Amino acid sequence: MGPPLRLNAVAFVSAQNHPILIRTFSQPKQDELKYHYIAHTSLDVIDERITAAGATKSTGCYLGLLYVEDVAVYGFMTPTKVKIIIALELSDNVVRDADVITIFKALHTAYRRSVANPFLRLNVPSDNVTDHSLLVAAGGQKWKLFRQRIDEICGAVTLPGAAA
Amino acid sequence: MNVPAATSSLSPAILALAEPPARLIDTPAMDYFLIEVVNALRESSAVAVARTKKLEQEMVDAGLLPPPGPSAVAGASAASKRDSSFRDSIGSGISRSESAQGKSLVDDEEEGVRQRLEAIGMHVGANIAERLCHDRSLFTDTLDAVKFVCKDLWSACWDKQVDNLRTNHRGVYVLQDNAFKPITRLSTWEGRADGIRRAKLYVAMPGGIIRGALARLGFQAAVIPEITQLPQCTFQVKLPKG
Repeated sequence: MGPPLRLNAVAFVSAQNHPILIRTFSQPKQDELKYHYIAHTSLDVIDERITAAGATKSTGCYLGLLYVEDVAVYGFMTPTKVKIIIALELSDNVVRDADVITIFKALHTAYRRSVANPFLRLNVPSDNVTDHSLLVAAGGQKWKLFRQRIDEICGAVTLPGAAA
Repeated sequence: MNVPAATSSLSPAILALAEPPARLIDTPAMDYFLIEVVNALRESSAVAVARTKKLEQEMVDAGLLPPPGPSAVAGASAASKRDSSFRDSIGSGISRSESAQGKSLVDDEEEGVRQRLEAIGMHVGANIAERLCHDRSLFTDTLDAVKFVCKDLWSACWDKQVDNLRTNHRGVYVLQDNAFKPITRLSTWEGRADGIRRAKLYVAMPGGIIRGALARLGFQAAVIPEITQLPQCTFQVKLPKG
């Protein structure tokens, strides 16, 4: 068994391309801004991939390796148009697609569990157009459990895998 | 053919997080709950309407509002209803302008219940759609999304699929269910017509569920439920062209 995957950062972007949550796990704390920038750049690459996939009529959710810029950036778009972007540290061993898809599914589950909570949106009408104003609040106090779930996923990823 | 977990470099913990065990619900308990929800919301709506009327009356007494003429009442009640609806976290854009003249208290309450049911339905529908999209591929077009509603959403909520889907290819879809689950057991002493009138309230929440699901998928739709004959219900869905 080789060394495990290292998850550096996770970003959720809403359907209207507003950031929901960007969470970083890398050691040097000053790298937060770099991952905001990476998430922003990934949006363009995602748009390209989606239009290309639309032209060839292949509609997978997993968008694969978007680009590499000292971290490997992978993208995933759910059918509800929420985009999930993760940055994995570059390493020598092969990263399997199936593993990355599993990580994305776990992140999607955490997202939909938190978003389903009606108490987080009490003061805003359930209007999709103004969605972004309250989703940006996902960095705030009330969404603590969402951040905890994401941290749990990161912890589960970086644990050494089951012995072969 | 399942790939054994040992060949993956991920721990079993994250595999469990990615595919959580499905949480199930007791159907009869859910059916009873949905029936009682309408009664509970009727009480709640009556209280809310009484509160706004009292507020209006106080404002008229204090001289802040002109004495009630028909248009003034409609304007004030529309404004205060909008305020109370924001406070009660319902935001569906149902038009209130028809409530101008001759609006009785009963209609106010019925409309209030309907709005609350639809708002609850929108929230439920959006989250059910998010859950059902877990293993799915992206939607290719509007028809794909409507078919998702007709098959996956209907089976998850009401244990069957829609019986008939018609479209005019210009963004209007008609979903017809010949034995719609929430109203199959509905009957009243006063005959068929009264049954149909009462059933209209019980299909408000399913209408909201459809609207919420389509909204979460990115389609702003208007959903109008119609009942002509008791166990049969049709939903007219108007989507913007595209």
